[in-house]
Amino acid sequence: MANTNNAGAEALRRLKEVDPPSLLAPNPTLSETARAASQYLFSSIRPFSQKCPLDQLLVDGYDAEQIWHQIDLQTQPLLSTLRRRVNQFVKNPDEIAQLKVPSSVAKKVEAKNHEEWEQESDDFDEELDEDDDDEDDFEGVEKEEKNGGSDGEEEEDDDDDDDEEGSEDEDEDEEGEKEKGKGKDSGIEDKFLKINELNEYLEKEENNYENAEEADDGDEDSEEDDELEKAGEFEMDEDDEDDDEEEDEDDEEEEEEGMENARYDDFFVGKKEKSSKRKDQLVEESEDSGDEDDMESNKQKKRTASTHEKQLEKIQSEIELMEKANVEPKTWSMQGEVTAANRPVDSLLAVNLDFEHNVRPTPVITEEFTASIEDMIQKRIIEGLFNDVQRAPRLPSKAPREVKELDDNKSKKGLAEMYEQEYVQKIDPTSAPLSSKDKLKNEASMLFKRLCLKLDALSHFSFAPKPVIEDMSFQTNVPALAMEEIAPVAVSDAAMLAPEEVFDGKGDVKEEAELTQAERKRRRANKKRKFKADAVKRSEKKARSEKKEDNAIPGQVNG
Amino acid sequence: MQSKEASSSMEVDTVPSEAKVLPPKPKFKPLKPHEMASGQVQFRKVSVPPHRYTPLKKIWMEIYTPIYEQMKIDIRMNLKGRKVELKTRPDTPDISNLQKCADFVHAFMLGFDVIDAIAILRLDELYVESFEIKDVKTLRGDHLSRAIGRLSGKGGKTKFTIENATKTRIVIADTKIHILGSFANIKVARDSLCYLIMGSPAGKVYSKLRAITSRMAERF
Repeated sequence: MANTNNAGAEALRRLKEVDPPSLLAPNPTLSETARAASQYLFSSIRPFSQKCPLDQLLVDGYDAEQIWHQIDLQTQPLLSTLRRRVNQFVKNPDEIAQLKVPSSVAKKVEAKNHEEWEQESDDFDEELDEDDDDEDDFEGVEKEEKNGGSDGEEEEDDDDDDDEEGSEDEDEDEEGEKEKGKGKDSGIEDKFLKINELNEYLEKEENNYENAEEADDGDEDSEEDDELEKAGEFEMDEDDEDDDEEEDEDDEEEEEEGMENARYDDFFVGKKEKSSKRKDQLVEESEDSGDEDDMESNKQKKRTASTHEKQLEKIQSEIELMEKANVEPKTWSMQGEVTAANRPVDSLLAVNLDFEHNVRPTPVITEEFTASIEDMIQKRIIEGLFNDVQRAPRLPSKAPREVKELDDNKSKKGLAEMYEQEYVQKIDPTSAPLSSKDKLKNEASMLFKRLCLKLDALSHFSFAPKPVIEDMSFQTNVPALAMEEIAPVAVSDAAMLAPEEVFDGKGDVKEEAELTQAERKRRRANKKRKFKADAVKRSEKKARSEKKEDNAIPGQVNG
Repeated sequence: MQSKEASSSMEVDTVPSEAKVLPPKPKFKPLKPHEMASGQVQFRKVSVPPHRYTPLKKIWMEIYTPIYEQMKIDIRMNLKGRKVELKTRPDTPDISNLQKCADFVHAFMLGFDVIDAIAILRLDELYVESFEIKDVKTLRGDHLSRAIGRLSGKGGKTKFTIENATKTRIVIADTKIHILGSFANIKVARDSLCYLIMGSPAGKVYSKLRAITSRMAERF
């Protein structure tokens, strides 16, 4: 052990004397020296680093990377602890005199003398510096060996520094809590829980986690990523674990209360009716401890309130508010049927009430509204698209009855003729008189016959005309040429009007426009004469008939 | 004893066949109408109201000819007594001719046209029914006048409508109403006129008429 120590010290010394430029080139002897020196340092620091799982630095057959990580394992927590202590001492220089001893380390430290402790604290500082230097050297060596690149150096340094600071703070927190735990065992602890045991368990778990990560990372390729990741993970792990520890402790405090005396009154502001002594004590103690814890934890929380903690605080406060609101009686607007007596005066004015309106609100007549309507009207007129109601066509269920129309004119036929017709109808149904239906049929048949006649005339070479039915019909004086054009044989000449029938007149026939003045006068004179003669005749007739009547009446009177 | 024996079997009195032959059934010729009245001439007298005098004079030949020629009934006008007298002739073919002629002349006197009244001569079962407005409903003064107006309608429209629909002829003489036609038709016409008298509007009566006549027409 002494030999190795000496060898190690010798190696260390030799390393110090090396020229920095010679470190640039890979040198196996130099690396051997470096390894030996680091081993020596590791073992010398080992007594002071409780968390480190390694007893000695393993260098044979290990990469610089791996060696570095081993050293890191040891020094990281140690550095944070030391930094915290130093800061504490910086703040309170008095404490240096009254050095309080941390729990697990205390035993070993207490074994030594107070003076030795001070010496060692000095040594500590030296070694701290050395460690820092060594770490820096190592960092430089490793980077050059591995060709890590210039990017990562500064970042790594920064990350390491941050990690160290972060871990330092968390270590301080841990230590502070450990102290508290130790001090207030009687209040918080139970037969189920001991804070010290909890801390030990947590540390063990941490170390296992770190080792597992180291083993994994040893196989990875990129150096920077690993270191970054490691740094991040370290920080996160430590953060999480620290937070979990804190939370667990708080939860445990609460759980303790809940488990023992879970009462509504404890959680919610209200009546504190029943409470056992023990519960009171515990409550008081827990409150006290809680208060003290809070005070101290507040100090620490204020210093290191992570985002998660902040969120938790926010949520907690919200929850408290809500719980408070739930407990109180509801506002009148939340209650069911509220009459005027149950609510404050004119409170309805402040509240936005929601009514179900069954009636559509009346449309506001604006200019745009009317303009839109007028546009629509104009468009419709242009298109001619009026939504006229069209009668739905009824399906005819039965044939429409022949509606006998009532004739309100004096019948031209005599009664006898009517009965005669009726009788004939009864006897001989074929000679039935034309009903309205038949009239239409007749008309249609007549039209069709005429049409057929015409078509036949046009289409036949030897067309024989139908016999002309002599009836009293007006004969139109159609020129013979027109008749001949259609069909020469179609119409017989017998039906044509005789020339006398066409015109019955004597002498020269002149039109009104052709007459001379004298002739016009003559015509007018003739007309007047005729008229006069007719008038005389008429008057004579009248006179005669009157006379007859006059004659008749006296005859009657007599007879 | 004999009777008992006789009771078992029918006793038939056999009259000694004296061969009394019954006289043959008399074969008479059908009676002439003249002879039916045991050879006496039958008369009918139809009085002429003053408002029908002139029309009778104008239309005399149209009345005279069918009666004398076809019905074989003697007709003459008694100016002094203002009556139309009808008399059977020995060669009158039918006993009912006289009555028909009398009805025909009577119808003319009531106010019907000759061409309408002639139907009585030609058809057997045409009757004339007369009733008064007051038989249906007691109306006085203006109501009566209005009822009469309702019956005739504007320009006689309503009356003609009923006539055409029911194949009757109607004469509205002040408060008297005469209907000429067959029995069923008279009934329909009478009902329509009664509705009108009682106050129904013409439209309603028309619709009723329409329904009835269509039904009647369908039957044949």
